[in-house]
Amino acid sequence: MSRIVIICLLAVVVIFSSCEDVINPKLERAEPVLVVDAWINNLPQTQTIKLTRTQPYFENIVPPAVAGATVTITDENGVVFTFTESNPGEYVWVPSGTDVFGEVGLNYLLIVQVNNETFVAESRMGRVPVVDSITFFKQEGNQFIDDLYQAEFWAKDPPESGDAYWIKFYKNGIPQNKPSEIITAYDAGFSKGGNFSGVEFIPPIRRAINPFDTDENDRLLSPYQVGDSVSVQIHAVTEAAFNFLNEVSIQTNRPGGFGELFSTPLANVSSNIRNTNTNGSKVVGFFNVGAVSGLGRKFNSLDDVTE
Amino acid sequence: MRILLLLLLPSLLFAQSRATLSGYLKDASNGEALIGATIYIKSLSTGATSNVYGFYSLTLDPGTYEVSFSYIGYATQLKTIALTGNIRFDLELMPEGTQLEEVVVSSEKEESGSKSLEMSVNRLDIKTITRIPAFLGEPDLIKSLQQLPGVSTVGEGASGFNVRGGSVGQNLILLDEATVYNSSHLLGFFSVFNPDAVKDTKLYKGAIPAQFGGRIASLLDVRMKEGNNKKHEVNGGIGTIFSRAAVEGPLFDSKGSFIVAGRRSYADILARPFVDLLQDGAALNFYDLTGKANYNINERNRIFISGYTGRDKFFFDKNQGFSWGNNTGTIRWNKIFNDRLFANFSGVFSRYDYSLQFGENERDNFRWNSSVRNITFKPTFSYFVNTNNEISFGAEVNYYSFEPANAYGTSNGTRIDVSLPEKYNLETAFYLGNSQKVSQAIAIEYGLRFSHFAGLGAGSQFIYNDTVPGIRRTPISERTFSQGEKMITYQNLEPRFSIKGQLSEQSSLKASYTRMAQYVHLISNTTASNPLDVWTPSTNNIKPEIGDQYAVGYFHDFGKDNMFEFSVEAYYRSTQNQIDYIDGADLLINQFLEGDLLSGIGRAYGLEFYLQKRVGRFTGWAAYTLARTELKVNGINKGAWYAARYDQTHNLKLSGFYDINKRWSAAANFTFVSGTPATFPTSRFVMQGILIPYNAYDSRNNVRLPAYHRLDVSFRLEGKTVKKNGSPRKNSDYWVFGVYNLYGRRNPFSIYFTQGDERVAAGSPINSEARQLAIIGTFIPSVSYNFKF
Repeated sequence: MSRIVIICLLAVVVIFSSCEDVINPKLERAEPVLVVDAWINNLPQTQTIKLTRTQPYFENIVPPAVAGATVTITDENGVVFTFTESNPGEYVWVPSGTDVFGEVGLNYLLIVQVNNETFVAESRMGRVPVVDSITFFKQEGNQFIDDLYQAEFWAKDPPESGDAYWIKFYKNGIPQNKPSEIITAYDAGFSKGGNFSGVEFIPPIRRAINPFDTDENDRLLSPYQVGDSVSVQIHAVTEAAFNFLNEVSIQTNRPGGFGELFSTPLANVSSNIRNTNTNGSKVVGFFNVGAVSGLGRKFNSLDDVTE
Repeated sequence: MRILLLLLLPSLLFAQSRATLSGYLKDASNGEALIGATIYIKSLSTGATSNVYGFYSLTLDPGTYEVSFSYIGYATQLKTIALTGNIRFDLELMPEGTQLEEVVVSSEKEESGSKSLEMSVNRLDIKTITRIPAFLGEPDLIKSLQQLPGVSTVGEGASGFNVRGGSVGQNLILLDEATVYNSSHLLGFFSVFNPDAVKDTKLYKGAIPAQFGGRIASLLDVRMKEGNNKKHEVNGGIGTIFSRAAVEGPLFDSKGSFIVAGRRSYADILARPFVDLLQDGAALNFYDLTGKANYNINERNRIFISGYTGRDKFFFDKNQGFSWGNNTGTIRWNKIFNDRLFANFSGVFSRYDYSLQFGENERDNFRWNSSVRNITFKPTFSYFVNTNNEISFGAEVNYYSFEPANAYGTSNGTRIDVSLPEKYNLETAFYLGNSQKVSQAIAIEYGLRFSHFAGLGAGSQFIYNDTVPGIRRTPISERTFSQGEKMITYQNLEPRFSIKGQLSEQSSLKASYTRMAQYVHLISNTTASNPLDVWTPSTNNIKPEIGDQYAVGYFHDFGKDNMFEFSVEAYYRSTQNQIDYIDGADLLINQFLEGDLLSGIGRAYGLEFYLQKRVGRFTGWAAYTLARTELKVNGINKGAWYAARYDQTHNLKLSGFYDINKRWSAAANFTFVSGTPATFPTSRFVMQGILIPYNAYDSRNNVRLPAYHRLDVSFRLEGKTVKKNGSPRKNSDYWVFGVYNLYGRRNPFSIYFTQGDERVAAGSPINSEARQLAIIGTFIPSVSYNFKF
């Protein structure tokens, strides 16, 4: 909720201009920490868990991989899924045939063993509604912006409160994952306290599947043009993962400018991974198992645009 | 309590067989009451000051006295009064001319800083406020306060102000006794007070009299003008942002007067012909309207009615946008029961609300209104026992209604009500205090306020689980209450004490202790408070905030006719039940808001230096504050003390005004503030293709931003006072030319860390950056024209 509100507040102060400089402050040094990136779904494709380490904030290189770990996921019935290292730090489980990972409603335990330490995390595989359709609509241009063709997906949150989702989208097959494109939903709305359940996702969520980029003259580009394709996936997440994603969004989606008036302090995002030895080394990251639904559509012609 | 009565008793007993001199002091040019004017009897070395309604009362042995009536900026009058019985003596003082050659420093000494018992108080009259160089040339009360010692802000554009380590929501802002919940227009760039309608502003940073309570950091008491009761007058101005107009004049044969003042931003009006959006229903404006009227029923009864309405409106089109605003209304009845007992009864209404709406059509939309309102009844009494004692007592009853969300959303035709229940509260307080001159050298003021707060049904109370501090708590049980049922009560005794020891004619030492309780809280976890922040009452989960403040000060006047005023004050403030927030807290439309709140303690201490030159061609002041403000909250910074976002170690403000010649005058402001705290990461990691900052030490506010400094200047040109043919002009006018941030420094508001804006292909390294943001990154010139006729 607050993110939307802040975007609106920002529209208010466009009459002034702020300015920004990229700077290079000196930061405190810190020891690297294990990072577990374990987001598992039931798509019929290779499931990957990445193990890396934190790096100094300004070190603009690929994060160091953690090789030689043992990685397994065990479901509540004792079925073990073993993830084998394919590339350094990348541990994969490949489904055989038409098999997919997991079953909605089951609990899963992740166990990662690295350098004689054991890290564990739990998750429960949540359900997702189907995506009924994708439509295109046109936002009329004005003096300041061109016509913008935008996509909207239609899906209805199942009745009974308590579902949480991470909505991902792809333009021409490329995942759109800027910090500003992290889309989460609790039931059909933004938050647990919001009480939207059992209805169509609310419009700001339905219409969030649009990438807003600018050209070299800072002119806003239409998210989609004739010939583009869009696809959307709804990933079930646990409530803890939903909170985590919102924290990630707060910490990483920094619009800058006057948005800084309404920013919150930098803070570490939560983690559901823990070291079985509480005095052992630190760990960050997240483990989530969720079902996925999806749909894609190509923007064939302007006839696809609905009123 | 008993001690208080014992202290009062002797004064009550000796109050017999004496005579009282009482009355109102007013401005001779417009009939405005003079607040804090001095009545002084040299032969007895005693005196009094007029209260906020201009009333004074002095009880003396019968006799003939030479009495001086004085007020800064006004010609002192000496009157010989034969006091045989009680005498009502109203007097009008003539303001001294504003022209240079007419500046006559009165022969009597003014009631100066070292003489008065007050400490930790700053007054700004509207003349000073309009002379301080202002952002975009708009004189601004709240921004002017920031030139005073002990007052700070998180930065440009931020609403509100911070006093002695208090947060924005810990200031009580009263406009003619009505609570102003949000003091800002356009986020925080301008404040809601129209300078044309304001008469007097007094900021209590500590030593707050027992009459006031409800916030733990400060009290900003803004009093509106009463309106000219001698003649009709129109004031106005055209500025960069606002156009203003004010009309005032007498009513009922000068038995009363009125003032109506309005302002409106007009950028949208100018832009309308060029911007299609504005013709299609988009709006971008803010306005306020202030009015007041008073009527003298007779010598002993006077009534006042005042009101304020203001609104900010931002609409992207006809159906989408938001707005917010304050509405207040005050009815006051001044009653003089007898020459020594002055009473005022106030009935006050105040409401702050905002609304937000989205969705172009009926199938998909969202509407949200939220408000806080209170109705107050406040009887206050001053009993002028004798020249040595002034007892004040009274009560305050506040009924609050909080409406956190009256909201619904429609998604593809299905409408869902997401409203949260209203909350009702009753805050009651009684107080008793005495201001006593113990001897020629020592004066004390002591008082006690008893405050009581009740949460009333219908409503629900939640019990939350215990968890690791800093993690969201979830409700484990709920208890519902029926209409009018008491849900929770809190009460506090709030002692207040001040003492002054006069060291010499020119210098004094003062000390004070103040305890305050705060039952309603501003819920805001962003750097600057925003208009959609909600006010919420104390509940079973949110305890009242308590603040204790100790202050000592040395006050010294010097120079010819005490033209210089110097003070140094030290304060220590400790607070309990300070509200803080978990990371990722969800504060809007959240029925389980309490689960996202944390509670902690605070401490703040500082040293404030203040030097003012009050008269002459060159006037101005220097204010320097050395301070520290820290919080300790379980769940933040590993439970250790950390500096608050508005902690400023060094805070230097210089304000100067210089009359160049008859028509030109200049003013300048300089501000230097050492860097405010910020949290920097140590490391980064990548999760699902997103770069996330990480602080390995889990610390909060571990570094300081670079220092902030800024110079503003303005020049004022008075219009000609005579016409071409030599006859005097009836109207007067002036121009103000100003530049804000003269040397165009890009002062840091914040430094934030982010991944680059570019899209990164899977598997490629992600760039990270630190960006330093300046809210105002350049110099900003302005011009305004003001008139009076």
